[in-house]
This record gives sequence, structure tokens and C-alpha cells, in this order.
Amino acid sequence: MKRRDFIKKTSLLGAASFGVPYLLPTGRLFAKTMERKVNHVVFCLFAGGLRNIETIAQAEGNLMGSTFAGASSAIPGLDPIPASPYSGLLKNEGTLFPEFRYREGPTGHFNGHTVALTGAYTSTGLNLKANPVNPTVFEYYLKHNSPAVTSKNAWWVSNSLGPYPALNYSSHPSYGPLYGANHIAPTSLLSPESYPAIANPKQFQFHEEEKIKSLRSFLNQNFDKEGATGVGNVNSEADAAAIRQFIADLIQKGLSGGFNTPLGMPAQYATNDIFTILFAEEVIKTFTPELLVVNMTDVDACHQNFTAYCNNLRKADYAVAHLWDTIQKTPGMANDTVLIMVPEHGRNLEANTVQDIYGRFGLDHTGDNTSREIFALILGPAGVINHNLSVGTAVAPVGESIDLVPTVANLLGFDSNIPAGFLPGKVLDQAFV
Amino acid sequence: MRMLGPNTRPAANCLMLAIIPFLLVACSAEDIYLYEVNQVSVSQSGVDKANQKSDIEFLSLAYADLFGSTISAQQLNSMVAAYSSMGDKTLIADMIIRNLLQVPGAQVPTNAQMRADVDAFINDTYKKFFIRDPGEYERWYLHKFITEDPEVTPVMVYYAFLTSDEYRYY
Repeated sequence: MKRRDFIKKTSLLGAASFGVPYLLPTGRLFAKTMERKVNHVVFCLFAGGLRNIETIAQAEGNLMGSTFAGASSAIPGLDPIPASPYSGLLKNEGTLFPEFRYREGPTGHFNGHTVALTGAYTSTGLNLKANPVNPTVFEYYLKHNSPAVTSKNAWWVSNSLGPYPALNYSSHPSYGPLYGANHIAPTSLLSPESYPAIANPKQFQFHEEEKIKSLRSFLNQNFDKEGATGVGNVNSEADAAAIRQFIADLIQKGLSGGFNTPLGMPAQYATNDIFTILFAEEVIKTFTPELLVVNMTDVDACHQNFTAYCNNLRKADYAVAHLWDTIQKTPGMANDTVLIMVPEHGRNLEANTVQDIYGRFGLDHTGDNTSREIFALILGPAGVINHNLSVGTAVAPVGESIDLVPTVANLLGFDSNIPAGFLPGKVLDQAFV
Repeated sequence: MRMLGPNTRPAANCLMLAIIPFLLVACSAEDIYLYEVNQVSVSQSGVDKANQKSDIEFLSLAYADLFGSTISAQQLNSMVAAYSSMGDKTLIADMIIRNLLQVPGAQVPTNAQMRADVDAFINDTYKKFFIRDPGEYERWYLHKFITEDPEVTPVMVYYAFLTSDEYRYY
């Protein structure tokens, strides 16, 4: 199916869904759909490789003061960052799975992200330049949600480029770019490097746009192939215009100094994670998406600098609290959003040989048991998510990485529309009221 | 040598008469046939374009077509960074093209130049962006499109060509 045909049919289907409901033979309106628990899910990959030793067990003191209770860390070398931007502790507003597991496959960042976003373990090394083989949570959502929605409702906000843009859709023949999310790597797009390429786009008046569209349509009718195929997700013209304006507004905001203290963090302490969450919040405020995935990776400094790992963990914790605060202040998403935060994998028990200036040794992630031990925290409205609950122990762990996609699908009510055999994981229903 | 006798003269005369035309032809100026190729413009039709440009080819060719020079590594890196940072490639390519049209040095004819010779503008535009001549219907349509609407500008035409499907192929 041509991309344009797809967009037209999706639009028509959407219009028909709203305008002309019909009764199926079973007597139901529309296809069978589970009831939604909430209308929005924000999935925060608290990534870069985090050990439970520093997060749950607080071996260096509490480095996640916005999320957990506990005496603050007092190790030398920590930056003086502001107090938590959220009034309460995140843990108190959700269900914690303190012994979550990344059970199988290489403990690489891309592997971990891929497992979290596809709901399937990868047993072999991944081609870093290729889209995943299994469908992503975005594709399940955009293909199976009923009524149909457009990709303006699904966003993948990545901390960096590298292989991560490839996670917005898979190479699966039944899914693929037609069901891909809107990916954005804001710290790259809105960087001094990219600015010259997009900062001053030619603006046409509406009537000029219509004439151009007419001419382009003529040119395309005289050519038998479609433009750039198979290389990106699809937006309708109206959605594309809204996104283009969104980017233009961000550029202007950046140029006028609007991001000089991102999330209220002094610029000298701001990390890529802070900026990434800042732009994820801009997406939330502008589009109130039903599904948004954002990742943070700066704790990976731990390979060569354990103190930077601790610093960046504190900042990531601060950022996710700010994100939750913004969600609760955004009309349409407040009290109707579940936030899932989970690392993609842990780090080794044994240190490597690289010391930082404080004499602390770095940590890699090469697949030992500790590098598979992570946590998951599911936050949400009191009537939907169990608050201040902890599920699972080291002896009897509960939950694993492949459970996240089924859980998102269940929250948004499209899990029963996914064909059997695609998702081996379970819904983390212990978190649900 | 055996001489022809009187009784053989009529036959000899006839022979001479038969040979003379051949001699005349043989003695006339020789025609020289020179084989060469007619002066025709050779261009690829749209139907023959089977290969999709890679992202880098698309961006660097758009620059070259607009500026008449090769893109610098720094400019290409800038465009590739932006292009890689968005999932919707049609959307980000559109933003990059719109930006290029604003960059000083873009070789876009003025409105007066376009309207002074619309047919030449159409031919040049097809050759520049599609590397081919326009078909008769295309030429007629573009001519009508431009001449019947004074608000159509060369920038609008260039932008439509640069964001068309055919421009994505070679």
C-alpha cells in the first residue's frame, strides 16, 4: 500500500469511526477492544545501565531523592542541584517492582532498549543500523488501537542518535514504517550543528501552499513511483504542518534563551538527559500524546567515571520528577496518565580498572547477574494504579523487561487486538487497582 | 592483337554506346556519404528512473542544484544531523529544502526573468531538477500554471520540484 493511500485510508477510517458507527455481527460497536485504564502512557527508559545497588539499595546514600525516601548521598563530587521539582515522592504514587529482571540476551544499551520496546528478548547481537525484527510498541499501538489514531499520538524522544532512531518501527512485514512513531532526537535537532539547516525555513502563505500542492500533485501524477519510501514514519499533511510549527517554535524559543535553565537546572549542571526530558515535556504540552517513550542514558558515564554516574543519576531522578509534575499540570493528561520508569539493564557487580578523580572505579555491563537486576516503577492515578506498593523480592522477583509492552498495551486497551504469539510477556497487573 | 574487321564495326559501335554512360558515371564527382549523429537532446524519461536517492545523495544534490556548486562537508553534516533527528523524513526534508531556499546564494530566477520567457524557464527547471526535457503536456500545463496566475513565483515552482516524488529518484 502506498504511503499516501495509507494516510488517506486511515483518515477516512478515522472519520468513519467517528461519523458512522456501525454494528458488528456480534452487536458491538467497532472491533472488540478492552477498556482503557488510562488514555495516556509515558514510558521513561531510565537507561544507560543502572544497578539496584545504587538505586534500590542506596549503597552510596539516596541518589534518587525525588523517587525514594532515604538519607541523601553525601559522597564527594556531587553537583549542587535544586530540590525535587515535584511535591511528593514518586514511589508513593505508584507500584514498585524492586527486583525486576532483564532476563535474557546481551546487556547492551541497544539490546536493552529493543527488548523494552518490542517485548521480545533478543538472543543474538543486533545490527545497530537496522530496525528491530519484532514490532515495537508504537506499531502495536498504531495498528491495533481502535478507533484508529495517527502517529501524532505516538512519540519516541531519544536522548541521542546512533542506533536509537531505528526503534520507532520494525522491519516486520506486517508492521513497519506505516505504523512508526514520530521520532525526534531533540538534542541533535536543536543543536548548533543542525540549526543552520532548519533555522530559517521559507514560509509560504496558505494560498501559496495550495498552489504548490497543486503543482506538486501534477508532478507526482506524471511519475510512477512514490517519493522516499520505507525510510520514515508517516504523518498526514495537517499533522506534519503542526509538527513543523512545533519545531519552528522550539527553535525560536531556543534562540531567544528559553532553554537556558532547562527544567530549572542551572545550565552548568544540565545534562543531555535534562534537555531530552525538557523536549519530551514540550511534546506533551503541545500534542498530549497517548503514547510517548523517552530515554535517558547519561549514567553510562559509569564506564570511566563512577562519580559522574552518581551525579547523572541524581539529575535523571530530578528530570523524571519534573516530567511527572508537568504531566500533572497538563490539561488532558493530568490524572489520566501512567508513567513507567525502568532502566534497560543494570551494571556488573565487579568494578573495572578505570578510576575517577575521587578514586572510585568504573562499572561495565557485560552480562553478569547484577547487570540483569533492575527495578520498575509504575506511577498513575490512585483509582488505576496501586500506590506505595512494592511487589517482588530478591528471592521471588516479579516482572521482567518483556512484560512492559503487554502492560502498555493493556493500559491503553489494545492488547487483545494483538495477534497471539507476538508478545511472550505478561501484563504487570499487580500494579493495577 | 586481333583486329575487328569491317563486318564487326556495328557491333563495336553498339558496345561503345553501351559503355559510354558507364564511363560518364565513372568519371563524375564521387558522392561522399558522411555518417554522423543528428543533434538531438538525450535525456532520461521519468519512467526510467528506478533508483531512489540515498539521504545524503538527496541532500547534497538539492544543494548542488540550487547553488550550482558542491556542498561543503560542514553544510552536509549540518543537514544530515537535522535529517537524522526526525522520524518523518518527508517532513524534515521539507524543512531542509525550505531552509535552503532562503540561504543567500541560492540560484533562483527572479519573477521577471521567469515571466520574460516562460518556456525557457520550464525547460531549464525540468533539466535542472529532473535531468530531462518536459513532455508536451507537462510544458503546456506548466506554461498555463505560470502565465494564468501572476502570484506563482519561481521559488514556489522550485520548491514543488524539489519536494516532488521524481526528484527523489535518478
